[in-house]
Amino acid sequence: MIRLRSVSKEYERRTILDALDLQVDAGEFVFLTGPSGAGKTTLLRMLYAAEHPTEGEVWVAGRRIDEMVRAQLPLLRRKIGVIFQDFKLLRRKTVLENITFVLRIHGIAPREAHRRSMKVLRRLGLQNRQAAFPDALSGGEQQRVAIARALAYQPRLILADEPTGNLDADLASELLSLLCDINYQGATVLVATHDHAILESIPARTLVLHQGQIHYDGMWPP
Amino acid sequence: MIRHAFAEGLIVLRERAVVSVILAFALGVPIAFAGVGLTLQHWLGPVADLSGQKSSVAVLLHPQMESGERRRWIAEIAIDHPRWTVSEVSSSDLAERLQRWFPYLEDLINSGDAALPSLVEILTDNPDSVTVLEGRAEVLAIGPRSSIQQTLGRVARGLALIVGVVSFVLLAVAVLLAAVWVHLELYRHSDEVIIMRLVGATEGTIRGPFLVAVAIPGLVAGILSVVGSLVTVSGLSQLASALGLSAMSIPASVLAGQLAAGVFLPLLAAVVTLARYAADATEG
Ligand SMILES: Nc1ncnc2c1ncn2[C@@H]1O[C@H](COP(=O)(O)OP(=O)(O)OP(=O)(O)O)[C@@H](O)[C@H]1O
Ligand SMILES: [Mg+2]
Repeated sequence: MIRLRSVSKEYERRTILDALDLQVDAGEFVFLTGPSGAGKTTLLRMLYAAEHPTEGEVWVAGRRIDEMVRAQLPLLRRKIGVIFQDFKLLRRKTVLENITFVLRIHGIAPREAHRRSMKVLRRLGLQNRQAAFPDALSGGEQQRVAIARALAYQPRLILADEPTGNLDADLASELLSLLCDINYQGATVLVATHDHAILESIPARTLVLHQGQIHYDGMWPP
Repeated sequence: MIRHAFAEGLIVLRERAVVSVILAFALGVPIAFAGVGLTLQHWLGPVADLSGQKSSVAVLLHPQMESGERRRWIAEIAIDHPRWTVSEVSSSDLAERLQRWFPYLEDLINSGDAALPSLVEILTDNPDSVTVLEGRAEVLAIGPRSSIQQTLGRVARGLALIVGVVSFVLLAVAVLLAAVWVHLELYRHSDEVIIMRLVGATEGTIRGPFLVAVAIPGLVAGILSVVGSLVTVSGLSQLASALGLSAMSIPASVLAGQLAAGVFLPLLAAVVTLARYAADATEG
C-alpha cells in the first residue's frame, strides 16, 4: 500500500528525513511515533502529495506519487482519508456540509451524501452539532468532525495525524477502537502520534522516527 | 458539481453584493453604448458612404432610355474611363433610399405611378472628372460632387470611431475589474481552496463558484445593456421620425451580441485570471 525508497526531505538545508525506506502492506495497522519535530507530519504529507521528497520515491496504492502531475492528484487524494493535525475544516460550511462536500466530490448524489454524513456523525457522537460552524466547536469536536470527514467515504487508506491530540482519554480510546474496526474491515491505517497511552493500549506495528531515521520498526508493546 | 458551483457562487455574490452590482453596470453601460453605435451605423448604412475610400457621384439618366440602351451606354463610358467604377443603382435600391429620406413618398413610390429615373453611380478618386459627361444627350443631371452620402459617411465614421474607442476603453476597464475581483476573491478564499484540494476536489469544482460569481453579474450586464439600448434607440427613433426620417431599430444580431458579450467577456477574464493564479495562490 505504501512504499518509500530512500526518501530524503530537506527544509532550507536542514535534513528532516534521511534516506528513509519503509513498506506498509494493505490491511496493516501502523503507529508512527517520535519526538515533536521528528518529521511525522512531513512523512504523512508526502503520502498524499502535499509535499515532495528532496530525493527518493514515494509509492501509494501501486502508483508513484512524487512524480504525479497536478491533474492526477484529486484522484489519488480521494483514495486516502486524511485526518489532519490542524483539522482543516471549511470554516464557511457547517459540520454537516463539511462532510457532504467531500462525499459530493466523490460523485455521491446529494440525498445519499446526506444520509451517509448523518450516519458517520452519529458514529462520532456529533449528531447534535451538525448545523454548527467549525469555529463554534471545541477542539475535541473539531477533531471528531475531521475524523468523520476522513471516514465518510470509506477510503482504503487512512492517514491520521495526532487524531487524539484534543480528545480526553475516553474519547481517545473510543476513536482507537473505531480505527481498529475500520482496519478490521480491510482499510490500511497509519496513525502518527506521540501519545504514549495510545501506543501502550493496543499492540501494533510501531515505527519510531528519530533524527530522520526509523529507529525502531516492530510490535509495541513488544 | 454544477449545483455546488451555483450555490457557492451565489454565496460569493451575496457577500459582495455592492461589487457585483458595480460590475454589472460597469459592463452593461459600454455594451449598451456599443449596441447603440452599431444600430446607428446599421441605420445609416444604406444612405451613407461608409467605405470612405472614393467619392461617389450620382448621374441621372433620362427615364425614357431603354434598359438595353442604358446598359450599352454604361459599358461604353466604363471603357472610356478605366479609372471610374460605374454601377447602376437598381430601381428597388433607389426606391429604398428615397423612402429613407422622404417616408411620405412611400405610397407614391410603391404605387408604381412614378417613373423613377435611372441612377448611375460613378466611384472615382477625382469627382471633378465626371463633369465631362455634362451635356451628353443621355444625361439628365449630374449630382453634387461632394454628396450628402459622403458627408453622412464622414459623420458616421467619426461617430463610429468615438463610440468604438469610448466603449472599448470602458469595457476594458470593466473586464479588468472582473479579473481583479476574481483575483481578490481567490485570495479571500485561499484557505478553503487549499483544503478542497487536499480532500480531492478537482480544479473544476474549485473554480466553478468563481466563474458563476462573474457570469451572473455578466448576464445582468447583458440584460441591462439590451434594455438600455432598446430605450435609447426608441428615443432616437422618435427623434428621427419627428425630423421626417425613417424609424430605427436594433438588429436582433446586435441584441444577441450584447447578451453574449455581457456573459462571456467577464467569464473570459475570470478563466484567464484563475488559470494564472489559482494554482500559485493556493499551493496546498
Ligand atoms: N514548510 C516548512 N518549512 C520549513 N520547515 C518545515 C516545514 N514544515 C516542517 N518543517 C520542519 O520540519 C520538521 C518536522 O516537522 P513535522 O511537522 O513533520 O514534525 P512532527 O513530527 O509532525 O512534529 P509534531 O509531533 O510536533 O507534530 C520541523 O522541525 C519543522 O520545523
Ligand atoms: Mg505533526
